[in-house]
Amino acid sequence: MESLTETQWDITISGTGIPQSLLALALSRSGKKVLHVDKNSVYGGPDAALSLQEAEEWVSTVNQETLHLPFENASIFAPTVSESQPRLSSSRSYTLSLSPQLIYSRSQLVPTLVSSKVYRQLEFQAVGSWWVYNAASDGAKSLYKVPSSREDVFADDIISMKSKRTLMRFLRHLQNQLKQEAQEGKGSVVEDEDLAKPFSEYLTSKFQVPPELYDPLSSLSLTQVAPQATAAKYAVPRLQRHLASIGMFGPGFGSVLVKWGGGSEISQVGCRALAVGGGVYVLNSGVESLKHAEQTGENSRIQLQLSSGETVTTKYVVGSSWDLPAQADGPCDYDRVSRSISIVSSSLDGLFPVTAEGGPIPAGAVVVFPSGSPGLTDESPPVYISVHSSETAECPLGQSVLYGSVNIPGQQGQSLIADAVDKLLKSSSGPDAQVLWSLRYTQLGRAVGCDTSPANNVLGNVIRFPPPSLDLAFDDSIIDLVKDAWTIIMGDDASPEHFMKFEDRESYDDEE
Amino acid sequence: MSDSTPKPSSSVKLVLLGEAAVGKSSLVLRFVNNDFQENKEPTIGAAFLTQKCSLPTRTIKFEIWDTAGQERFASLAPMYYRNAQAALVVYDVTKPSSLTKAKHWVAELQRQASPGIVIALVGNKLDLTNDGSGETQADIERDPGTEGDDAGDNQEEQEDSTPGDARKVSTREAKTYAEEEGLLFYETSAKTGVNVADVFTAIANAIPESSLKSGRGAGAGTGQTTLGGGRSADDSRVNLGDRGAATAKEGCAC
Repeated sequence: MESLTETQWDITISGTGIPQSLLALALSRSGKKVLHVDKNSVYGGPDAALSLQEAEEWVSTVNQETLHLPFENASIFAPTVSESQPRLSSSRSYTLSLSPQLIYSRSQLVPTLVSSKVYRQLEFQAVGSWWVYNAASDGAKSLYKVPSSREDVFADDIISMKSKRTLMRFLRHLQNQLKQEAQEGKGSVVEDEDLAKPFSEYLTSKFQVPPELYDPLSSLSLTQVAPQATAAKYAVPRLQRHLASIGMFGPGFGSVLVKWGGGSEISQVGCRALAVGGGVYVLNSGVESLKHAEQTGENSRIQLQLSSGETVTTKYVVGSSWDLPAQADGPCDYDRVSRSISIVSSSLDGLFPVTAEGGPIPAGAVVVFPSGSPGLTDESPPVYISVHSSETAECPLGQSVLYGSVNIPGQQGQSLIADAVDKLLKSSSGPDAQVLWSLRYTQLGRAVGCDTSPANNVLGNVIRFPPPSLDLAFDDSIIDLVKDAWTIIMGDDASPEHFMKFEDRESYDDEE
Repeated sequence: MSDSTPKPSSSVKLVLLGEAAVGKSSLVLRFVNNDFQENKEPTIGAAFLTQKCSLPTRTIKFEIWDTAGQERFASLAPMYYRNAQAALVVYDVTKPSSLTKAKHWVAELQRQASPGIVIALVGNKLDLTNDGSGETQADIERDPGTEGDDAGDNQEEQEDSTPGDARKVSTREAKTYAEEEGLLFYETSAKTGVNVADVFTAIANAIPESSLKSGRGAGAGTGQTTLGGGRSADDSRVNLGDRGAATAKEGCAC
């Protein structure tokens, strides 16, 4: 076994979150000597997936070591249940994901996973319907399915004929812009000055879209603020992404999730790819301190003290703020959102209809409780609940996992989510459905809806990834950040067209 | 391996475990490519290989996850084996410590992996023992359907090593342990190919029918075979490598 200390490492990557793992993947054929460490005992860092028992350990780590992970105020809620009621299964029947983001078919992640060939090791499942909680109607029909196709719009019996026409006109406008961009290239569509307006105002002043459609349309953009507070500039491109993604990988859906634990699977395959390429992996070992060695320039080296006791020498160090020693000038401010993961005792089958003829059975659905719902004021942000069926293998048959998120930290946010979960169960399942267990926490990240593109913090040969996005869909800027880091590390050998483009290591039989 | 009549096909995730240098990657290489490389570099393992195994009633497509050297610094996390339906725990018959390590992995799998996992204990490097040269033909031609009782018809091992025999772990010791723990048991040589295919066939046979059906059972998705014919077990799977399928309907919102 080679010694960690004696090896002259070209790169040391600290932490196995998605950015670091994608960098590992990018470097997996570089021939560089890479050491990849993580202070945690599992892969994924802030993108890990946990069994119930691991979740308990995670809670105490988050609460005891404040700078350990981008999370705060974690707690587990486990109601007592009587003998006759449904119960939790064993700890390892669950794989609860800290990164359940939707991956749009149009996301840059998709071509990256395909060209690097690791998509073969992942299993993707469709996210089908978007549902909006309708405050006005009570009882069984309080969840309204957002129409996602022309047929859906015509079949819809809630929106008026007049609204349908304006909706179609608006959707056609978005589609035409997409077509034009596809034909004439990016930037061919003239910047619309109305995009500076709030989304709601944009819809009405420009397309006469009635207020009843604000919530359904905003929900498709996954905006985490009220429609009045959402800039059209933010929502419109995201709506276009939603529409353009539909049908890309099969009829009736535009986004996917990764089976077996979402982002943690992506991080696992990235790390495995580098391990296969000769990278050395050490878990339970973080970077305690780093110091620059004497010489400068081409041959400068950094000495790292690992928490496992070893000292290693490396040319580059890459990590997030949580995986590297604190910086003198300190990190910037973070946004905080409330998140929760709830296991419920119902399969919630009604939320997963097949959305188009010939389409797959969706494993995911999105339920939105818009601003103005009971318990929410008009200005308060919407609550999103991403529902995963047992098809995702995150929970046993007959149960489902609800990933809640609202852009308000702390107790207030948690009670909004709990309330939304309650309403969701009441409106889409039998009276017996209940929350069996839930994990509640505050997540730290880059400002929601911030439109300046993030950049790595590069100081000497130390590269820090910016805080993760709090977006509910996979954040494409990660790919750019990884590419930037890769470009620095590869130096003269970096040719952008080779980034993440690999041949299969083995031959595959693609007949099925 | 090809068969003209279409049989139901299921994917099975199989993980390899065991101490470094016991020949895990070599076993897979022998099974998948019928190849063997002397002095193989330690770290360069295949991460992920697939190979079909045709049984009388169905085809099993093994998705084989090699450790990619991650066992060396104890950096194989439970996630690696958590969703596996089968595991190959490998030791080296010339190295007793590797059986100890294998037992550790078996315990770990029993604690962490899915309850129905099929585990095969495999003693590799049989070619370095005196048993390595004999009875290979008989082993290879044995009916693959009768897993589990295989070693019974082998001659009893000689407990005392004879000159030129590097064996340090007796067949009886490992076999007794495997029986106690309910594991499949084989001794193999990736170098000569002895018993290698048998291990995989035995595993394929031992996978319970029930664990081949993914997701919700008969209740919800009956008859909704939507991704083309004969894929009943994979109704929810989306293939990112297959963009052609839907281009005609692209952007169906308008």
